[in-house]
Amino acid sequence: MSESIADRAGELSGTEETILREVGYDAPASRSATAVLIDHDLRVASSQIDGVEIMPIQEALMRYDWVQNLMFHMIAPDENELLRQSVELLDDPIGHFIYVHDGTKVPHPIQTFTVMERPQGRQFTHNITVIGKDAEVDMISGAAVPGNVHAGHHVSIEETYIRDGARCRGVSIERWGSNMLVDSFSRSEVGAGAEVVSNQIMLAALRRHLSDSKTYIGADASSNEQAIIFAPQGTKRTFELEVFLTAEGARSEHLARMVSAGGEIINNNLLVGQAPGTNGFLGCDGLMLSSEGEIVATPSLKAASHESMLSHEASVGMIDKDKLAYLMASGLSEDRARDLIVQGFLNLNDVYIPDEMRAQVTDMIAAAQSGGM
Amino acid sequence: MLELRDLSVSVGDKPILHNIDLKVGAGEVHVLLGPNGSGKSSVLATIMGLSPFEVTRGSILYRDKELDGLGIDERAALGLGMAFQRPPELDGVTVEEFAAALDASRELSDESALLNMEDFAQRDLMVGFSGGEIKRWEVLKLFLQDPDFLLFDEPESGVDLEHIAAIGAAVRKLVSKPAKDGSKRGALLITHTGLILEHIDADQGHLMRDGKIIHSGAPKDLFKHIQKQGYVAPAA
Repeated sequence: MSESIADRAGELSGTEETILREVGYDAPASRSATAVLIDHDLRVASSQIDGVEIMPIQEALMRYDWVQNLMFHMIAPDENELLRQSVELLDDPIGHFIYVHDGTKVPHPIQTFTVMERPQGRQFTHNITVIGKDAEVDMISGAAVPGNVHAGHHVSIEETYIRDGARCRGVSIERWGSNMLVDSFSRSEVGAGAEVVSNQIMLAALRRHLSDSKTYIGADASSNEQAIIFAPQGTKRTFELEVFLTAEGARSEHLARMVSAGGEIINNNLLVGQAPGTNGFLGCDGLMLSSEGEIVATPSLKAASHESMLSHEASVGMIDKDKLAYLMASGLSEDRARDLIVQGFLNLNDVYIPDEMRAQVTDMIAAAQSGGM
Repeated sequence: MLELRDLSVSVGDKPILHNIDLKVGAGEVHVLLGPNGSGKSSVLATIMGLSPFEVTRGSILYRDKELDGLGIDERAALGLGMAFQRPPELDGVTVEEFAAALDASRELSDESALLNMEDFAQRDLMVGFSGGEIKRWEVLKLFLQDPDFLLFDEPESGVDLEHIAAIGAAVRKLVSKPAKDGSKRGALLITHTGLILEHIDADQGHLMRDGKIIHSGAPKDLFKHIQKQGYVAPAA
């Protein structure tokens, strides 16, 4: 373990632990590594095992000269005006650097969290993750605010490098404030033969969320992503997702399940097959819980090789009245029947979620539907 | 316990049930027989309050309470439960989760063996179920729901002979079990094949045709008559 780890093993308050537990946090001793960013301070950066380094991004830039080649490698600081302004305002980037060494089989999940504690705060983070060759790791990440924080603006950049032959499973859960703005930019590179399973759970209300992501999948590598998206009234979520199957044998499956309870969800997905023998699928299913709100699902396919197999499915509809009637005739109240149908639609049984977090996520769905989030 | 008084029902502008009178007492099992399209399933769906059936005349009384105007869940809460003929698939909702929602996990584990459904806990409801499995599930569901009055819509159709006995035994057990308040239960059952009659003690049979009950009598005798003469009322 590096010196920085001991230096950064800061304490979290009881309140901080409580709100983080709702998005997957557990005591650092039970995780292989932990990073917790509170406002602009990486309060905790600790690793329990050899082969996993976790530290502030500034420190990583000083320690490893190759890290600067990874930073802004997949995304340009002037890619859009918001990013340009955010980058210009900060001399020192804030965020974490995670480095799982080649061949390391990480026994317990690595957990990373972002918290905004200042009401009307502004937070700009830049995280870099490197999963070394043939390494295996589970990742849990989350975002949260205390109950008194409703408004603020969070901008994040995530650059993730999954090296050849690595296996990475990840789940992220966010719980921002109801009047917050969030802009997240993520870029991932999946090396040859690597396998990635990534699930995002976005249930809580916020004012506006823009998620802009690009994934580049290498030869014989696979990426399986699922997004569970909920938009109550007053929430607008926009997703701009692009997946590039860059080399022979690359595979991707991306499924988005979206529920609008009066909010707006715009989901623009593009799958690009750039090499022969590539195979990809986009699935976008939307469920409208009320006549208000909107779901726009636009899956697009682009085959740049005649031997690329790409397909998509999209559906948007209301709750099926026959299902509702069946459950009500079976003795459930209408609200409970709706809960069950929505939970079934989101189909968490097929989503990778650590066992200890599954009940929490189910509770979050019920709370989101009842307007409690 | 359940009474249909001069009940007429329409779907949109189309009348489908006409002036039906039917009374099922506590502890009684009645059977509806009739050809396809005669209105048997519509009777059960109307009692349960399902769409798109609208009562245009008469009334349905359950334990002397008028059901008209009550929602499906309110009827279920009063004690009505129904084994559907064609229940919808519920993707992502497992048998186990459904039982938990009904607070009936124990009943699921206690009763699933009776219907050879011990391995279904993790299956999504109705998804990939065979016709026979759906029928067995619908009967098992009633054990979880535990209603006082049971409606069965063709519980044995599409079921192999081996499982008809199991369904018959389960129906018998459901009907003979005392209701939550200790009183006797009642049941109204549709059968197309009549095979279930070998496994249950039905008290009364009703022959339906063109949306009307045209004859009532001993169920096994009525079924034998239908087998010989078709769906016509026996001579007086």
